[in-house]
Amino acid sequence: MSGTGPREAVFPTRMNLTLTKTRLKGAQTGHSLLAKKRDALTTRFRTILRKVDEAKRLMGRVLQLASFSLAEVTYTAGDIGYQVQESVRKASYTVQARQENVSGVVLPAFDGVRSKDASDFNLTGLSRGGQQIQKCRDTYVKAVGTLVELASLQTAFTILDEVIRATNRRVNAIEHVVIPRLDNTIKYINSELDEMDREEFFRLKKVQGKKKRDAEKADESRQGQNEEYRAQGGEVHRDEGIRGGDAGGADMLDQGKDDDVIF
Amino acid sequence: MEALGFNMSAGFLEGVVRGYKGALLTQANYHNLTQYFRLQLSSTDYGNFLANEPLPLSTATIADKATEKLVAEFSYIRTNAVEPLATFMDYITYAYMIDNVILLTLGTLHERDTHELLERCHPLGVFDTMPALCVATNVEELYHSVLVETPLAPYFRDCLSAQDLDDLNIEIIRNSLYKSYLEDFHSFCQTLPAPTSEIMTRILAFEADRRTLNITINSFGTELSKDQRARLFPTIGRLYPEGNNALARADDVDSVIAAVDHIAEYKSFFDKAGVSSGAGANGAEEASSSLEDEFFKHDVELNKQSFLQQFQYAVFYSFVKLKEQEVRNLTWIAECIAQDAKDRVNDYISVF
Amino acid sequence: MGYLFPTLLVSSTSLATVVGLYLLFTGQGESFNVGKFLAESSPYAWALVGVGLCVGLSVMGAAWGIFVTGASILGGGVRAPRIRTKNLISIIFCEVVAIYGVIMAIIFSSKINGDVDNLYTTGNYYTGFALFWGGLAVGVCNLLCGVSVGITGSTAALADAADPQLFVKILIIEIFGSILGLFGLIVGLLVSSKAEEFA
Repeated sequence: MSGTGPREAVFPTRMNLTLTKTRLKGAQTGHSLLAKKRDALTTRFRTILRKVDEAKRLMGRVLQLASFSLAEVTYTAGDIGYQVQESVRKASYTVQARQENVSGVVLPAFDGVRSKDASDFNLTGLSRGGQQIQKCRDTYVKAVGTLVELASLQTAFTILDEVIRATNRRVNAIEHVVIPRLDNTIKYINSELDEMDREEFFRLKKVQGKKKRDAEKADESRQGQNEEYRAQGGEVHRDEGIRGGDAGGADMLDQGKDDDVIF
Repeated sequence: MEALGFNMSAGFLEGVVRGYKGALLTQANYHNLTQYFRLQLSSTDYGNFLANEPLPLSTATIADKATEKLVAEFSYIRTNAVEPLATFMDYITYAYMIDNVILLTLGTLHERDTHELLERCHPLGVFDTMPALCVATNVEELYHSVLVETPLAPYFRDCLSAQDLDDLNIEIIRNSLYKSYLEDFHSFCQTLPAPTSEIMTRILAFEADRRTLNITINSFGTELSKDQRARLFPTIGRLYPEGNNALARADDVDSVIAAVDHIAEYKSFFDKAGVSSGAGANGAEEASSSLEDEFFKHDVELNKQSFLQQFQYAVFYSFVKLKEQEVRNLTWIAECIAQDAKDRVNDYISVF
Repeated sequence: MGYLFPTLLVSSTSLATVVGLYLLFTGQGESFNVGKFLAESSPYAWALVGVGLCVGLSVMGAAWGIFVTGASILGGGVRAPRIRTKNLISIIFCEVVAIYGVIMAIIFSSKINGDVDNLYTTGNYYTGFALFWGGLAVGVCNLLCGVSVGITGSTAALADAADPQLFVKILIIEIFGSILGLFGLIVGLLVSSKAEEFA
């Protein structure tokens, strides 16, 4: 029945019915659009997830390699940390951010850039372990590259996750709240209209019954008058229309204009 | 004849140093260490030296502690030494002193808190007046205090001026100092009687050649000019002079190999390390780690050999070097275990 | 230490040359007479110098050996205390050298008595020279033996400290070294047995 479930506070009129139906249609279109967006995002999300997984595994390996090559350096060249720290003047590895658009979601993506003239400490370990230091440095650059990649994936991952959740919430809200409510409203309006129809019908029936009774009464009295008149010797004219007969005047169309029914 | 009088001044110390050498870890020790690090270390000469360390142990702690032990042993011998052994042992410390002074110089140039640097200095190279270097606030002052306060003054005077300290790359300074040091040490060893001078000449010659080769190979592709490079080569060693000249002109690994061609040992290093003439620069990068390893191995071998002769001072030098190698090995094994790189754990260079 | 020996050699040679030239140029060239020197010096002097050299050089050899060995045993004993008892045998080997010298000195000195009528007889000359050269032979033998045992003993101590298995092997070599002293002893005995007491 129209009483169950939440509905909008509207008057059950035909116009509102039309309006609500339009809104329902809009909601359904929105729902399908959002669902599509969600699917697109989820696909992307899955890809990123897989990439994050790969990158994390790779990072584990690369960092292990890198720290191992540092161990090699320590083995051959001793502790070079301080010298390297002191001789570096400018970052040789920088990160550039750019934006990527996935179904209307802006994802930041990072690119590692290794500057060409970065050779601040390539004389470190000149007499011992220089090659290891270069190797270690290359390994670490690779490791940092992986880290940057991972960072951009991870950021995308978080952002996408949030967006997907929001979209999901919206889809679910439309599916489980908005559409049922609109449905309920429509049902309510429909049922109210039906109710009104039925009331009207009943009223009409009632009016008809009343009229019939009045007509019969009038018929009888006319019959009586006719008899009287005939008994006095008058001539009674009869209507020869459809269903014309003794009672006569049974035709409703003869009764003149009905009262207008106003809903 | 050296045997007649050697024991008068240094016999006791030689016995002690040989005792220390006997306590160096053996192949079997290393093998066990790679399995159960801490457990096995306590059964060696290191005893319970890690007992008071809080867990978890870091490899740096292990290296520090092992170095501390080396320093303790060294200073025991140094305090008991008389001339000329005392001077000889001082010369050993100069190598570490160079590193320390360079470190302090670096700190001063970048205006760091030099007191903090004192803690980073190698304990073997610590000298009494070292904190005085921290007082210097600019390069000029530092240069003068180095000249006045350190035993390294002759090396500084010979190869650097105050401007150089400011202008040149710190690595170039370090290497020119080391070059002077090697030459000086070598000439000092020549004044010592026969077995010492012979063995030390051999060891120092290799050290000089190793530096020459390393500097040459490592300077490929850097801004170090050939002229500058040639000035860093020590003028001793088996490669001097014609090998050094050839190396000074070398442009790639192939010409380095050609330069050392007449010395069979060095050639075999390159062969073993796989730096073949066909491999080119790329191959050199791949294999140079093992070239370094070959150098280390040969160094260890030479130092081991110096123990074969009694009544000479080279054992003191060799002991320090072997012990240093042992510290490196321990660090390496600890590092490998910490990083779970079991396949590389056997890449240490066993001393005995 | 390495310079001691050549310095000694050079200085003694030059001293001898200077003295010789002095005698020659001051017209005393005749007094540079080996035969007269041998004939006129007292056989007692020869004999007693021989005895002195015998025990002196022997003790010097023993002492030298003991300090060479001892220093190494001390040093080696710091890290390997177990070597100290075993390596006393090297010290004993050195000590034996001194004992050889003492024995020979006793035997030699038994030939010497102060109660002689005519000192310059052939027999007394022989006794004097025999005791001098015998004593010198024993002394030098024992000196070198002591030094050799000492150096070997020092090596034995360090080798023992490094690896206990090596001790016996090096000890054998040390025994060979210590036998050298015996050779001197035997020759000294033979030489002195021919010599009669001073008469």
